[in-house]
Amino acid sequence: MTDLWPRVEPLLAHVERPARYVDREWGARHDESASYRVALLYPDTYELGMANQAIAILYDRLNGLKDTAAERVFVPWKDMAAAMRQSGVPLFTLESCAPVREVDLLGVTLPYELTFTNVLEALDLAGIPLRSADRSEGDPLVIAGGPCAFAPEPMADFFDAILIGEGEDAVADIVAAHRVAKVAGLSRTDLLERLAAVPGVYVPSLYEPASPEVAAHPRPGSAAPPVVEKRVLASLSEHRTPECPVVPFMDVVHDRAGVEILRGCTRGCRFCQAGMVYRPVRERTPDEIVRDAVAQLRCTGHEDVSLTSLSTTDHSRIEEILRRLSAATRGAGVAISLPSLRVDAFGVEMAALASSGKKSGLTFAPEAGTQRLRDVINKNVTEQDLLDTVAAAFGAGWRRMKLYFMMGLPTETDEDVRGIGELVRRVLDVAREATPPAQRGGLRIGVSVAVFVPKAHTPFQWEGQAPNEEVRRRQQVLRESMPRKGVELAWHDTGVALLEGAIARGGRELSRVIERAWRSGAVFDAWTEEFSMSRWREAFAGEGLDLESLATTPHDPSEPLPWEHLSAGVDRDYLLGERERALAAETTPDCSFDGCTGCGVCPSLGVDIVVAGGRRG
Amino acid sequence: MADTTYRLRVTYGKTGRLRFLSHLETMHACERSVRRAQLAYAVTQGFNPHMKVGFGPALPVGTAGLAERYEVWLTRFVSPSEALSRLRESTPAGLAPVGVLYVPESEKALAASLTMAAYEVVVDGPDVGSDRVRAGLEAVVADGSLTLEHKGKTKVYDLAVCLPKEPTVGETQGSVVVDVTVRIGPWGSLRPEALVAEALRRSSVQGAVTCVTRTSLDPEGAGA
Repeated sequence: MTDLWPRVEPLLAHVERPARYVDREWGARHDESASYRVALLYPDTYELGMANQAIAILYDRLNGLKDTAAERVFVPWKDMAAAMRQSGVPLFTLESCAPVREVDLLGVTLPYELTFTNVLEALDLAGIPLRSADRSEGDPLVIAGGPCAFAPEPMADFFDAILIGEGEDAVADIVAAHRVAKVAGLSRTDLLERLAAVPGVYVPSLYEPASPEVAAHPRPGSAAPPVVEKRVLASLSEHRTPECPVVPFMDVVHDRAGVEILRGCTRGCRFCQAGMVYRPVRERTPDEIVRDAVAQLRCTGHEDVSLTSLSTTDHSRIEEILRRLSAATRGAGVAISLPSLRVDAFGVEMAALASSGKKSGLTFAPEAGTQRLRDVINKNVTEQDLLDTVAAAFGAGWRRMKLYFMMGLPTETDEDVRGIGELVRRVLDVAREATPPAQRGGLRIGVSVAVFVPKAHTPFQWEGQAPNEEVRRRQQVLRESMPRKGVELAWHDTGVALLEGAIARGGRELSRVIERAWRSGAVFDAWTEEFSMSRWREAFAGEGLDLESLATTPHDPSEPLPWEHLSAGVDRDYLLGERERALAAETTPDCSFDGCTGCGVCPSLGVDIVVAGGRRG
Repeated sequence: MADTTYRLRVTYGKTGRLRFLSHLETMHACERSVRRAQLAYAVTQGFNPHMKVGFGPALPVGTAGLAERYEVWLTRFVSPSEALSRLRESTPAGLAPVGVLYVPESEKALAASLTMAAYEVVVDGPDVGSDRVRAGLEAVVADGSLTLEHKGKTKVYDLAVCLPKEPTVGETQGSVVVDVTVRIGPWGSLRPEALVAEALRRSSVQGAVTCVTRTSLDPEGAGA
């Protein structure tokens, strides 16, 4: 491998935050001798990518494979990218500072639609042809994974293969298949056929994409499966939490140790893609969690630990976990953070247990302003639950709370939008009442209102997104209904939401739009100051597509959707049934505790719910 | 905290790639080394309890250091040799500690006491020679003051105060090496590479500073 450091080093004196590019952190793995080399790309800057737990897990897992070295790659910020292009330095891996194009496998996680142009930026900087079809034998295998892999058609042409679902075991299978192919001297085409036989691996070039009449299907002559089912671990206990993940020098997002305490969520919120695609719920045991958290804190020297999951206080033994972990870390100034709290007094109790006295702020997500709409989206939270939560939190000494809502949900009316303001008003009243008079001045409720974006594999995948003008009008209704004093209101950019929606349910034709946008300068679109709506509109128009109508037009359930050859294990009929129940404002219980609701994941994937204790709290 | 604490002063290097860390990044990295070394550290009291630790004067991003300093208050005494070996085992190589000692509580804080900083500035270029660099430096020093712009701010340094001794110029392996000692004070710290760059400009030398290393940090009058 080429060592690019002598050419990278002189560039660092002239760029912002050079710590992004220097490697040598505690926990970084260096293995010069491994014969199989992987680069793991997070398509954004170092400080965002280093917060990603999937990258940390796969880095650990791949480096643990025999004769295999995995290294990290992030997208250089604009100043560094310009310096690299000017001096002819290609994209490099951090650990050995080797050109990315020299690795065997480039793994790319797709965390969010607005990072897609960064993938093209990285491929271009690496000197790897953007499209799979243009790559030759000497180029790395480029494989995507992550949340957006479940609806990947807009990016399908840029990847040789896409892994659907969980990576822990699948990456080992992919590496093994590639090694065998290398030894056998297989052509790239034959290699891709082999990869298509690995469970969970989707090779886009072997499929005819969906048209309005015909669903996506394997091309004639290919042995690729008609439907690619996601990979899923039967039990998280099969793999330990990484004990010594890389400890960044830079101040990164979520700069703390992290233990994933459960995966999946079966609360069944109908808007939530993660809740549908990461089923079923699999909990780690309290023994594992405490052991892994203590080991990681010791190895990394981190001061805080986060117990991560889609819904952390839903762990059936969360109270025991928090008590034991607090006892194990007492006196070391370690803070435990819970990234997601359920809306009830139990959530507040758990936050109090974790905080050991520190009361910075609590975050809850009621999602909608009226009970009717909360029933539509199956957010099984009542107004009384929320008000009890508020009374408990402010009574226990918290003075700040953040509430997350969405607008533009299916069936939403102005009454629902005004309902958000009215609910916040009642929250304020309860909060004031629970706070001693002298402290009421410092009381703050942050209200964040996102624009609903319908996502693939959810019961709302057929819905049209609310048009821009309509969202703006509703934002005005919201503003007028929202109390001023004690409330900090934030809402999302409507343009960003519209673009996210168009791409999130897009077909393969969108690859041309994404490439065009990138060629006209779109990069780091998830950074507010870098995002340009006009550039994206032009890119869509330039390819003869209309951004607005792609996002806002509802789909008929009889027409094939671009991702229906990729299965998260949830039955289509279940999604349709949930959609009908939504429109009738009927709720569906959580199957982890209240009996099977028939989504189909467990029987179709041969897995089951894994709960560490009895019923939850 | 009424209990006895032990003030451990650590001398460490900041070398190789890690010279690109900012001061804040370096501080965090050192604190994490202390945690990984399992040294029993004292925690400050207050709303946001954290490790009781102090740092010497900041190094600019990109400048290496051979004898940087931090100190940490321990709640349990550990022999200096053991503390050093535990810290070395738990610190990335580019920030490796090179020595530790316990200091009395009465000593001034590091940032206040370490005011004499010696640097080695390496200059390379097609026509760089020690005589011309020396002449340029003499011309700058003769002015008595140096006006520099940094991040849009103009600052005037009184060289009689900032330079406690004359810079010396030597040559090694085809490069010119300037040794500069700078006095750090309320006016800040004169960047030695800025002084040398001005000297190059004065004597019209086609060259540039390629490497800066802080070789020592001492209190005033420590015989440096």
